[in-house]
Amino acid sequence: MRFHLPALNHGRMDPAPALYTIRIRGRLGATLLSAFPALASRQHGAHTVLTGPLDRSALYGVLAEIEALGLDLIEVRQVMLERGSPESGDCRSP
Amino acid sequence: MTIISAPAGSGKTSLLRAWADRQGRPYRLAVVQVQRDQQDAQQFCLALLGAVRRATGAFSDAEPQPATPEFNARAMADKVLSELAEARGDITLVIDDLHELTSPDALGQLTRLLTNLPPHAHAVLTTRRDVPRLRLHQMRLAGELTEIRAADLRFPERETRELLEASGIALSEAGVALLHQRTEGWAAGLRLAAISLAGHPDPERFVAEFSGSDRTVAEYLVDEMLDRQPAEIQDLLLRTCLLDRVNRELADLLTGRPGSERILLELEDANAFVVSLDPERTWFRYHHLFSDLLRLELRRRMPEETPALHRRAAWWFSRHGQVVDAIRHTQAAGDWPGAARLLADHTFSLTLDGQAETMQALVRAFPPGVDHPELALVRAAGDLVQGRLDEAAAHLAVAEAHVEAAPPDRQRRLRVAVAALKLSLARRRGHLAGVLEQVRFLDSPVTGQSDEDIALGSDLRAVALMNLGAAEAWSLGLRDAERHLQEGAALAREIGRPYLEVGCLAQLGFASKVDPFATTQRRCREAIGLAERYGWGTEPVIAPALVTLAGTMVWTGEFDEAERWLQRSAQALETDTGPEIRLLMHHTTGILHACRGRHDEALEEFSAADRLRSQLEGSHALANQVTGWLLASQARAGMPGQALAALAALGDERASSGEIRNARAVICLEERDPAGALGAVREVLDGTAPVIGYVTLVEAQLLAGLAHGELGDQRAANQAAERALALAEQDRLVLPFAITGSRELLEALPRHETAHAALLADILDVLHGSSRSAKDRSSSPPAEELSPGELRVLRFLPTNLSRPEIAGELSVSVNTVNTHVRSIYAKLRVRDRSSAVQRARELRLLSAGLTR
Repeated sequence: MRFHLPALNHGRMDPAPALYTIRIRGRLGATLLSAFPALASRQHGAHTVLTGPLDRSALYGVLAEIEALGLDLIEVRQVMLERGSPESGDCRSP
Repeated sequence: MTIISAPAGSGKTSLLRAWADRQGRPYRLAVVQVQRDQQDAQQFCLALLGAVRRATGAFSDAEPQPATPEFNARAMADKVLSELAEARGDITLVIDDLHELTSPDALGQLTRLLTNLPPHAHAVLTTRRDVPRLRLHQMRLAGELTEIRAADLRFPERETRELLEASGIALSEAGVALLHQRTEGWAAGLRLAAISLAGHPDPERFVAEFSGSDRTVAEYLVDEMLDRQPAEIQDLLLRTCLLDRVNRELADLLTGRPGSERILLELEDANAFVVSLDPERTWFRYHHLFSDLLRLELRRRMPEETPALHRRAAWWFSRHGQVVDAIRHTQAAGDWPGAARLLADHTFSLTLDGQAETMQALVRAFPPGVDHPELALVRAAGDLVQGRLDEAAAHLAVAEAHVEAAPPDRQRRLRVAVAALKLSLARRRGHLAGVLEQVRFLDSPVTGQSDEDIALGSDLRAVALMNLGAAEAWSLGLRDAERHLQEGAALAREIGRPYLEVGCLAQLGFASKVDPFATTQRRCREAIGLAERYGWGTEPVIAPALVTLAGTMVWTGEFDEAERWLQRSAQALETDTGPEIRLLMHHTTGILHACRGRHDEALEEFSAADRLRSQLEGSHALANQVTGWLLASQARAGMPGQALAALAALGDERASSGEIRNARAVICLEERDPAGALGAVREVLDGTAPVIGYVTLVEAQLLAGLAHGELGDQRAANQAAERALALAEQDRLVLPFAITGSRELLEALPRHETAHAALLADILDVLHGSSRSAKDRSSSPPAEELSPGELRVLRFLPTNLSRPEIAGELSVSVNTVNTHVRSIYAKLRVRDRSSAVQRARELRLLSAGLTR
């Protein structure tokens, strides 16, 4: 683990972060989740899904962390926000 | 070659260790553990070289190879290859944690190294992820690569059972199967489980609960393992996990309690992911995965304590001179101003230690909003190393502005640091005019320093002195240069910075160029000898001495040896640090070519020198000489018209200098206009034209002589030649005779019309191409040294003067001459005159400086 968390912590968003979901095998407990403080986590069966806006360097920081902690990466996906989709939280009618 | 590529905790290092321990000693191992986030190619290469040397037993008592600020990865890789090739018997390179090597330079050279291993050398690499930059495709295709991957390292059920049995854990078949299934044979998982299972009252239940949990294996088991430890041990593990490596003192410091040593040793014995790093077991390291998880746990359980722990660790590392660790922990503690100060204070030390990349990585770690002004200094240093001169100037301006605002105890150091960087920048740009005034204060002796000041300040002052001396040498403030460089060299020797010592001595050699040749050559050789001792014989740092030494040899006609030194200079300047040395090298090489009549090559070199000269701001001391010989070469290479045009384009001031007038004369001679040539050199001959040095005067005389010869005035030609010889006698200069192509002029000079028969004979020898080369030097020196009287006679032996005539020249009796000659023959162990002459040449007894 690097000493410094990825750039997420500095309260500044770089121009073009995208929304990512990252799926990891197993349920991440409190300890492991604390390695990804800027991502929301959700249990999905036997997997944990982390979600959050990440620019490129933040994304690779997260992936490096996953590798360092020996976690099993299942999927990384950039989410396209669509109107009316549950992911986007947009409640307007299509 | 074998590569073990598998994720964290797969058991790579354990496999490596088990294999290494089993070896049996005909197999020698050179082991390198790549440091975390290794950005510096040099650090890695030095570790590799050190490991190879330890393994081969060569250099066993020598100090480790010191680092240099300018690093040539290719040369270092070559060195490693050659030492591997010389090693007898099998040898294996082991590189652990290759994925931590982030330097593209290092990876490139490592690829080259691995694909060129000698037949008796092998390599084993471990890495957490594949490294595409290590281009091993060829080896793979050729079947020379063995890969061990995660699947190979997984424990099958049978081995799981064996592991448990070996740890004394009794588990049912079902239990073993369950455990195996849950961990999927992952080594780290099994070992963690084994720790928790050992001595567990109900192993079956443990496995059942573990199996039933959906938490990730690592997190579950580390939690379990931690919970089962006594509070004391838990505390130690949590508090020390933020260190990359830990020893007794650090552990005691961070826990606030004594007794850590015992715990660490016990942990290692219990095989609990703690590993000692040295045979004496004073330093320990936790398995990366383990410590990563512990760190998360630490932040969760004791968030307010973590910065304090980092601060304490930083303090310890600072006290023990481990600067990079100190800075890292200071940053981790969130003390950005403190980290900035540490970085600024150690900029020069880190650069000298070859850790420039690491330093820049530390600078990049500062969060964007936090920009301490002292970082500007560090950035400027980094810019200079990378050759970004404009950025360096900008950062330096910021740093300088900050100095006044800094606390008084830091001001002096910062001022010296800024001065040192300014000098370096000025030299790179060739703009030395203004800077020397600004750094006058460096002259004053340093008084009233605190201990800290002295410790931090010595590296700094040595660098400053070296840069100052070099700048002064290039702007011809040579006495000042000598003083400062000598002080710098002495200080560098005292503080154990061989690189700086070599740097100062190399510049001192260059600064000696107006001293007698003997002094210059002695100083240059001293610097070169010291550089060679450290393996820096072809590093840029020694280039000034190499080029200067070559220059002195060209001047005295030792062309072959000069050529060898120039070749070495060219090698040293492959990774360059500034235009001025390169200019000098091209200039000197051009002179060499011109002296050998190779005018096209000379033209190329002088053109290169001239291009560099025009890039430098401010006028260069050698400018007219460079341009003058450039024009002359153009004319001699068959382009007199072009040369004339270029000459016309020069300003009046330059055109009236002696060197340019001589060039005009050369052009005239090439265009068959001897009268014009005589007109061109008139002001040089009568002393009204400004000249850089007396070599220009000698040249002018020779050109006049050639012109007179063409006009049919042999007497005037002879007189001119004689005057040239007279001027050249003191230093026994050969250069101007060679460069003007005056062989026929000299041959036409009757021997009884010259008082410089010895010199004349020597020069003609050189012009006839008999080489005064070091190759001819035989290995045995004379039995005793020749006396001054004998040397005087010796100088006449190459001439065709008879002994009575020599006696007449020296105003001694013939008997005296005979006695001397007998003695000379005896001492040189020869029997006749021509052998004596040859031997004397081999021993360079006729060379410049020795007969004065």
